[in-house]
Amino acid sequence: MSQSKAVVQKYARATRLLHHIHTAAFIILFITGLVLFIPQLGFLAQDSWTRIVHRLAAVVFIVAPIVYLVMKPKAALRAVADACTWGTEDVGWLKAAPRYYFLCDEEGMPAQGHMNTGQKLWWFLVIVFGAVFIVTGLVMWFLKTVAPAGLLQWMVFAHDVAFIVTGAMVFVHVYLGVIHPMMTEAWQAISKGTVSEEYAKSHHGLWYHEQVKEENTAPPPEPKEVVEVH
Amino acid sequence: MAEKAILYDATRCTACRGCQALCKEWNENDEVIPAVQGGVKERNRGSYENPKDLSTRTWLKIGFNEVEHYDKLDWLFSRRACMHCTDAACVKVCPTGALYRDEAYGIVAYNKDICSGCGYCADFCPFDVPRLDGNRILGKNKMDKCVLCTQPGLNRLEIKQEPACVKTCPTKALVFGDRDTLVATARQKVAALKAKGFTNATFYGEKELGGLHVLYVLNDTPDKYGLPVDPKFPSTATAWQDIIQPLGWTVGGLTLLGLAFNFIIAREAKMTKELPGKAGKGGKKHVAE
Repeated sequence: MSQSKAVVQKYARATRLLHHIHTAAFIILFITGLVLFIPQLGFLAQDSWTRIVHRLAAVVFIVAPIVYLVMKPKAALRAVADACTWGTEDVGWLKAAPRYYFLCDEEGMPAQGHMNTGQKLWWFLVIVFGAVFIVTGLVMWFLKTVAPAGLLQWMVFAHDVAFIVTGAMVFVHVYLGVIHPMMTEAWQAISKGTVSEEYAKSHHGLWYHEQVKEENTAPPPEPKEVVEVH
Repeated sequence: MAEKAILYDATRCTACRGCQALCKEWNENDEVIPAVQGGVKERNRGSYENPKDLSTRTWLKIGFNEVEHYDKLDWLFSRRACMHCTDAACVKVCPTGALYRDEAYGIVAYNKDICSGCGYCADFCPFDVPRLDGNRILGKNKMDKCVLCTQPGLNRLEIKQEPACVKTCPTKALVFGDRDTLVATARQKVAALKAKGFTNATFYGEKELGGLHVLYVLNDTPDKYGLPVDPKFPSTATAWQDIIQPLGWTVGGLTLLGLAFNFIIAREAKMTKELPGKAGKGGKKHVAE
């Protein structure tokens, strides 16, 4: 287990697939929505083109997580439970984060579970604002002629707020995943599903050691399959 | 050029609906009455008012209001169409600039070609005027409303003609002209009505939404005519366009700047750690802490 090239699985195939499909849908929704923020790009919305694309992407955005929830209920619920389980290591993370992310100082950073505190926060954001997007979007889409104008005004407003918050945070998410100097294997984790043991130890210590424990009580299979994932 | 307006004098209106008909004819908005064998497929709604509502093909309609009017039942008529607000919420929220304020006439003009069909104008209009037509599921719509006869190719104002509805009005209940002149006329008319004993007579449209470009002389309160008593520019439109959208750009911009800043600092810090010889002091200091 101490070989430097040994890898552990961080994200299962289904999880990665959901991530990529949802990302693609989000990007399309983001761009077709951004058109409304920039009057100069209004010509793109002419004859409702971007609106049609926005709706198609919205269907994917709504259906993909539901399909995942139905097909992998255990993994989905455990991910939610993970995000909702907060401990002392999360407080420690919040304290150590500025030094860690700016100065690459790992000293004060407590060992993290499968999801670190930042990832948990991102998860909350995705769940909460995903729900806001879907509810307000469906109202505007299907209840346009039925709902009172005052309600529709607030739906537009809330949809916009969700757009701004998630739009800004998605940059942070992408940055931390693929650009930040310390996150050397986050992209590998979501693209190939695996991270090196070294990375797992230093970035998700709690999770890694739990896996090792489990592994020691069970017959040792191939490293790639060691980890039960979601 | 001075701002233009239509003055509607409800006390002169006989509800002949010539304005409604010529509006359709001039703007090529034919009405289709669904026919069945031996008649039409239309239901009695208990009113002479027809059609039921404004639509993408009905930009103007006369409302028939049966109300208590100075202690007796009366039939009050009212013109319903775009009010051409000075502070138009539809213009504020229109994301493509399809709806815009025409500076020359002061009206709310419309470039239908670039309408994206979002329908925000319909959601935010204090008078519930814009109507959309199209495929709701796909979201492929187009909005329509009165444009005061400024449709391209059918522009009457351009050739110094009054709007079609005004042209056809047999009782001069509708008058077109410079807004300032019409405001003065309306004031006189309302004063005369009050002198005659119509104490609730109202001049509607002078101040509402920064000044409407359809002015009303009413001999009772606006609600009796089905008009909103105190129409307001929706605060949601202000909150959305003037606060949230600029805030959105700021938040987005600051986020990107912050990330760039972080990248510069963090890369430097990491390089320092990995190659302590090159810029040792900083690195050591961090480790020591």
